[in-house]
Amino acid sequence: MDTILSTMFYFWLSLFVVLFLVQRGLWIFSDVAKGTVSFMLEKALGPGADLVEGRPGSGARSWIMQGALWLIFASMFTFTSMWLTHDPDALHSLASWGYSANADELASAGVYATLYGSVSMFIIGCSFHIIPKLAGTELVSETNANLMSFIWTVSVLIILIGSQNNNILGLDIIPLGVMLNTVVLLAVIMNQLLTVSNKTRNIAMPGWLILIALLSSPILSIVSIISGALDDNVGQWLTYHIFGGTFFFAGVAGIALYSSSVTSGNPLWSKTLVGVTLIGSIFTINPFGDVTGQMVIDVFGPLAENNTVSFSNQDMLSASFLMALVSIPVLAFASNMLVTMRGSDMFVDAPDSSGNAELNLGSWLIIPIALGSLFVQTDTVSGTYELVGISNSLSVMAGWLVLVPLSLGAALSLYPELVGRHLFSQSRARWAFWMMTGGAIFGLSITMIADFMDMALAESLVEDPSSLSEELRKVGSVMFYGVVIGSIFHSLNMVTGMFRGEIISQKSITSSSISVETYSLVSPTTVRRILASGADLDTEVIPTGENDEKGSATKI
Amino acid sequence: MSINTIDSVDRFLQGEKEPSGSWVFIVLGIVLSLSFLLLYSILYPGQGLPVISDLVPVFSGVFDSGIWFFILGTMIGLFSILGRLLLEATSE
Repeated sequence: MDTILSTMFYFWLSLFVVLFLVQRGLWIFSDVAKGTVSFMLEKALGPGADLVEGRPGSGARSWIMQGALWLIFASMFTFTSMWLTHDPDALHSLASWGYSANADELASAGVYATLYGSVSMFIIGCSFHIIPKLAGTELVSETNANLMSFIWTVSVLIILIGSQNNNILGLDIIPLGVMLNTVVLLAVIMNQLLTVSNKTRNIAMPGWLILIALLSSPILSIVSIISGALDDNVGQWLTYHIFGGTFFFAGVAGIALYSSSVTSGNPLWSKTLVGVTLIGSIFTINPFGDVTGQMVIDVFGPLAENNTVSFSNQDMLSASFLMALVSIPVLAFASNMLVTMRGSDMFVDAPDSSGNAELNLGSWLIIPIALGSLFVQTDTVSGTYELVGISNSLSVMAGWLVLVPLSLGAALSLYPELVGRHLFSQSRARWAFWMMTGGAIFGLSITMIADFMDMALAESLVEDPSSLSEELRKVGSVMFYGVVIGSIFHSLNMVTGMFRGEIISQKSITSSSISVETYSLVSPTTVRRILASGADLDTEVIPTGENDEKGSATKI
Repeated sequence: MSINTIDSVDRFLQGEKEPSGSWVFIVLGIVLSLSFLLLYSILYPGQGLPVISDLVPVFSGVFDSGIWFFILGTMIGLFSILGRLLLEATSE
């Protein structure tokens, strides 16, 4: 059997065994396992548990706030790498401090900060709120969830240092950071599984998307090591893309689908489409991201050998086929999101809800970016390499125009309930959205145009680099700075909102579920008056019969 | 007949919310000081600004790329978040 199908088969098999055990429990060992895990999550932490608070919602809040702060660093690293692409000596003065800035290394730091710092922290943070809500119970250990967020941040810091200098004192730094990261993820998974074991009702589908996202990461690592996929260039490429499809796509889809209902006040449109998204995220290969498995080589360090990507004929067919299928879950997810937010009528119920704009943006842009990524990846898999020049820009687009908006939008929509206050300023949130969106769309599109120019020049065997392409890269990087400003605005808005945001009332929390079911129409009135009385578009208006006869005194 | 008077002795009042127009005066102040700096160069041509003109050569060759303006902007943003956190944590 070829690498692609054999690795995916082992992954599917392992995932289903784990999901079966999650559903059925561990037979007579269930109680022992629960007790042991509970002890490990709280008591075993010792004095560490006293460092953080364990109030309800504090775990999710901590993850989300740190994720928002990571956005600033992620955008700054990406901006700096874009700048250094056209001006490599811009930061040469830092050499006097022993640091030589390099565009590729900074781009790598930007990717790690975006994926591990922001998106992952938003996914995990939102999951700490969503899973207990859907399971109808409380999170087992808020203290552990809270403490782990800080250790996760330390692990991301270590990975970032490794992305600049991966070998310090003979140690590989990135694998060290990833090991710490994995320990935290295991604690998160245990916390969530124990919460699920206390469920009082069946968990809705978005909850399963999140659980599969969390479980897939350690399962994939073990499968890749045991099956030998890590020593094979195709296996490295595959591991990278399965991780992107399961952890990032399924995780972001889970929190975004839940939030689309919360932020719009509408019920989730289709359960079947969520199911299709769930199955699709496991059984297809997600084309987002890099065209090589370099990240897997960096992350697994000595366990992964460095090879040049070269697909066999059988691998090429399997990979192309499974990647082509990704359009099914992507379309299912996007349509479900957009229709849910639109509701059953032609109005968006709450257009000013925080996070609504970001969720809309991600849901729209996931389709064109997925199609573009599909073409670029198929080009690489088939060995044509004609589109490889734009792969970097497209990969950054997938990060900043799909994963970040969807995860940030979900975090913003859950913010009021987690913090107990609204964002400090709705106007600042709007500015931040437009700065981030404008910066990412224009900055990256212009950079992609420069990529196309360079590709055309290389094809025509022109040796001198084009000055126009360099100018375009300059404009692109300056425009991308809007993303940095937007990230700062969002973070400042969230931090200030924690202290000075308007306190939410009980009414506003549940406003989406309050509706007047019937309205008795006794006299001619305007639609405005009916809506003002608390009725909505689903309220039944019942005309009450009028009597024109002259009235008389009531008989007692 | 009693007269209701407001006892203003030793009472300090401060609003919780910042008025939306206050930033206009800050911007006005900055623009005004910049225009005075222009006036300085007209009145004293060839004369460097006190202190600033001595400090600038120290950084020549260090901040010689436009990227530093952007990095400075990000640092201001980060410090504003840090400042806000410290302010709110110590205000009560």
